[in-house]
Amino acid sequence: MSDIEHHDHSQPPETQDAGSQALAEALRSSFVIVKIALVALVVMIFAAGFFTVGPQEKAVILRFGKPQGGDQNMLLGAGLHWSLPYPIDEVIRIPITEIQKVSSTVGWYATTPEMELAGTEPPAGPSLNPQIDGYVVTADRNIIHTSATVSYHIDDPGTAIFHFAGGTNRIFNLAGVSNAVQNAANEALILTAARFNVDDILTANVHGFEEAVGQRVNELVERENLGVAIEQCQVKSIAPRQLKDVFEMVTTARQNRDKLINDALSKQNQILSEAGAQAASIVNLAESARTRYVTAITSDAAAFTELLPKYESNPNLFAQLELAKAMTQILTNVQDKIFLPQRADGQPRELRLQLNREPPQPKSAANP
Amino acid sequence: MKKNLITIIIAAGLVVIFALLLFTFQVRQSEVAVLTTFGKPAVNNIEDPNLYFKWPWPIQQVYRFDKRVQNFEDKYSENLTADNTMLLTSVYVGWRISDAKEFFPKFAGGSVEAAQRQLETILRSAKAAVIGKHNLADFVNADPHQLKFEAIESEIENAVQNQLATQNYGISIEFLGIKKLGLPESVTQTVFDRMKSERQVLISKWQYEGEAKATEIKSTAERQAADVIANAQADATRIEGQGVAEAAKTLSVFQQNPELAIFQLQLGALKNSLNQKSTLILDERTPPFSLFQNLPANSK
Repeated sequence: MSDIEHHDHSQPPETQDAGSQALAEALRSSFVIVKIALVALVVMIFAAGFFTVGPQEKAVILRFGKPQGGDQNMLLGAGLHWSLPYPIDEVIRIPITEIQKVSSTVGWYATTPEMELAGTEPPAGPSLNPQIDGYVVTADRNIIHTSATVSYHIDDPGTAIFHFAGGTNRIFNLAGVSNAVQNAANEALILTAARFNVDDILTANVHGFEEAVGQRVNELVERENLGVAIEQCQVKSIAPRQLKDVFEMVTTARQNRDKLINDALSKQNQILSEAGAQAASIVNLAESARTRYVTAITSDAAAFTELLPKYESNPNLFAQLELAKAMTQILTNVQDKIFLPQRADGQPRELRLQLNREPPQPKSAANP
Repeated sequence: MKKNLITIIIAAGLVVIFALLLFTFQVRQSEVAVLTTFGKPAVNNIEDPNLYFKWPWPIQQVYRFDKRVQNFEDKYSENLTADNTMLLTSVYVGWRISDAKEFFPKFAGGSVEAAQRQLETILRSAKAAVIGKHNLADFVNADPHQLKFEAIESEIENAVQNQLATQNYGISIEFLGIKKLGLPESVTQTVFDRMKSERQVLISKWQYEGEAKATEIKSTAERQAADVIANAQADATRIEGQGVAEAAKTLSVFQQNPELAIFQLQLGALKNSLNQKSTLILDERTPPFSLFQNLPANSK
């Protein structure tokens, strides 16, 4: 009985022990699970800190709201990065490419993307609707179309990202700064056009206009402290489509003028070089005539000196001899010789001459 | 004991996190925060990004605002200039919340849109006032000293800035510029007509100028050519003169016997003149035909 009792007695504590033991066992094992879960949680929290940044974006880690890495080095490039879990750290991603590009919005007539792709233009009406057609007014109060495309890169990410709102609160992107650059381009176009004359913008000083627009964009970007650096500013300008023909006629007229002037210049060269050649030949002829004359005189003088003693010994004989010698030569050379003896009665003889000039010979290459 | 420790650590951790959530708040780089105590705003705005302490709601409450520069552009609207030209302008404004504690009670829920509506009203009157004071020549002018474009921009900016400051909206203007400038649609047509006639003037100008310049160039060239030839002829005369002068040096030789000199000269001239293609008529008095008349006699 007592055994049984004892047995009975001992039985319940035993079962109790087993129960609490099982409970403790269960608790212990669940604690292990909790521990594992905790460790896993911690690991997960730390693992969740890893994040990747793609090639077309950059990331910034905000620790308690403050960007990490300083103004110049806050941008994290493409690759794997790690941050502390939220709310200590917060990763913000900014879509950003090396070079950003914006185009002005105010100076061009209304087109649709389809038209731009097809390269066609909307039909030109007699006037421009200010609500849809953009244009600028030039210093000489002409209306033209012009457009600027500005390329820039982010120079100071801290300013560009955290200083300009891109529309939505709490979202970070570069829309705000690109908007500001675009408006700077718009202002630069309007202002620069307002101090240039139409012909300078369209033809005479296209480059100067582009440069002035770029300069103004730079000035505004600097003054407004946008944190970007302008790489390039390209400007294209055209006359209004309504006046395309008449503007082209001016261009043609100008080209004609240039052609006339150029032709005149080449004519000038021709005239001057011909005159130069003629002048040179006149001088050369004179030189050779002089040389010939001086040489002839000198040789005459030499001959004279040689002949003088012979002459002085018997002037008459010398003269007769010389004359006879000369006559021999003359009579050989002369074409017609007519000998006309004196009339026996000593009366003068009448001689009729029919002078017939030889017909002029035509000049030709064969007979110059 | 060990179990308890873990429990305590976990519990403490949870409490800390919970307390942190209740008692702290963060302000980001781009934000400004206003802390109110029982609805009354604190004296200072919280501008610097960091972690801050606060009493939990309902004692203290945090209002955050974006302090970044917002872009605002007004409608393309017409205003009359001082010389009665209707001008269309659109202005862009970079504005931001400069004093959040002043800003948020004035605009429902601190709404940016509400602020921009207010800004547009102020801008409209500022624009009308400033444009009404200027002539069209102040807006477009080839002379940089007369062009007052930038002055007009800063006048509008100052007017808006003053108005904002007087009303104490907690808004400041960072920059302002004219973004679009135009003329009413009907005016564009008359401008086109004027441009067309100006073009035609240019066309005739270029035509005339080309011909005139070309003629000028050619006549100048011809005059220069004539000069060059005249100079050359003068040179030629001078050179011939030099020849004569040089020849004169040999005169002394001939002076020894002028008779012989003249005889020789005449003989030379005779030879030269009676060259080929000449006809010579002679009688017996001309030597050597004098032979026909009388032969020389023997001198005794």
